[in-house]
Amino acid sequence: MANVTNRRILLVDDDRGLRHVLSTLLRDAGHQVETAGDGPEALTLLGNQTFDIVLLDIGLPSMSGLDVLAQARDLPKPPLVIMMTADDTSETLLESVRRQAYRYLRKPFPPNTIVDVISDAGAPASALSFEVISARPEWLELVAPCTLEMAERIQSFVMHLDAHLPEDIREAVASAFRELLTNAIEWGGKFDPNRKVRISCVRAKKMLFYRIADPGEGFDIDGLRHAAISNPDGDPIRHLIVREEQGLRPGGFGLAMTRSLVDELIYNEARNEVIFVKYLE
Amino acid sequence: MSAHLRITEERAGDVTILRLDGRFELEDGDLAFRDCVNALLADGRVKIILDFQEVSRIDSAGIGMLVSKFLSARTRGGTMKLLHLTRHSDHLLDITRLDTVFEIFEDEAAAVKSFGTAT
Repeated sequence: MANVTNRRILLVDDDRGLRHVLSTLLRDAGHQVETAGDGPEALTLLGNQTFDIVLLDIGLPSMSGLDVLAQARDLPKPPLVIMMTADDTSETLLESVRRQAYRYLRKPFPPNTIVDVISDAGAPASALSFEVISARPEWLELVAPCTLEMAERIQSFVMHLDAHLPEDIREAVASAFRELLTNAIEWGGKFDPNRKVRISCVRAKKMLFYRIADPGEGFDIDGLRHAAISNPDGDPIRHLIVREEQGLRPGGFGLAMTRSLVDELIYNEARNEVIFVKYLE
Repeated sequence: MSAHLRITEERAGDVTILRLDGRFELEDGDLAFRDCVNALLADGRVKIILDFQEVSRIDSAGIGMLVSKFLSARTRGGTMKLLHLTRHSDHLLDITRLDTVFEIFEDEAAAVKSFGTAT
C-alpha cells in the first residue's frame, strides 16, 4: 500500500471544532487541506478545484453528505470520498456503499485513523470500483477487483455492518473474513485488478453467513504442505520450512485460524468458493 | 509502505523491547516488523521482547512473520518473547498452537529477567 503525503483534501463537517482538529492533524501529516461547513459550500469548492480526497460528514445541515457524495462521484475527475458519521444505522452505510464511497468511518474515531486511511489510499485516477449486486442489511453482495486495497475497503464496510455484535463474535468473524478474502485475492486472483472476487454476507436471525468466490482454479487441500493445517501434532511451524523452500512469504496460518474461529467452513469441489457460518446462539 | 504498525524501541541491558502499536498484517505491519527485527539481528541484538499491548489487529501474515523472525533470532543464538498479548492475539496464538512455541509474559520485569540479564 502507498504511503503518500501532500494529498489535496477537502474536509466537510459542520462541527467547527472537529474541522480544526482534523485539518491541523492532516496538515501536520503533510497534506493540503480546504474545509467546508456544509454541502453547498463543499460542492462549490469541488466545482472550482480538484481534490484527491474528500472527508465528508453525512449529517450536514441543508444537504445530506450522501447527496454530496453522489455529486462528487459524478465529477469528471472524481475524488475518493471517505464518509464520516455518528449514524450507526446499516442503511446509511449501505447507501454509502451503493454510491461508491471509498471508506466509511464511524465517529468517534481515533484521530490517527484518518491519517492512516489517507495514507493507504491510492491516487483517485487509479481507484477501482466494485459492483453492488445487493446492498440490503440482510444481504450484502459485491463483486470487486482482486487487490489488497479493495479487500481493506470491503472489510471495513462489512465490519461496520457487524458493529452491533458481541466483541468476541465480531473479532472472530473479522479475522475469518479477512483471511479468506485475502486468500481469494492472493491465490485465486493473483492480486490482479482485472480479476474479480464475489462476496456475499447474509445476516439471518441466528447466524451470519459469508460466501467468497474467487476467479482461480481452486486448490488441492492435500497439497497444502505450505499451510499450518498440514502440520503434524506437536510441530505447529513445520510448514514454514516448506514455505521458505518454495519462496513463499511467511504465513500459512489462515486456514488453521479460520477453522477455529467459525462454526462451519465449507468449500465447493474445486475449492475456489468458500462459505463460512457463525452461529449467534 | 504504510506506517500502520508503529514500533518503538527500548533497551533493558542487552534485551531489546519493541513496543508494537497498530496493525500487524499482510504488506502492512508485517514488513515494518521484519525490517526492524532484521536490523536488530544484524546489530547482534538477539534478545528481543515484543510488547503487544497496542496491537489492534493481527492476521496470519503477521503471525507468519512473527514466527519467521523468532526463528531468525533463535538461529543467531537469541530468542524472542511476547509480552502483554491482547485477548484476541492470545486466542489466535492458542488456536494455532503457537503458545507452545513462544514464551509469553504479562509482567515486563519478569520477561526481562527471564533472559538472565542484569538491567
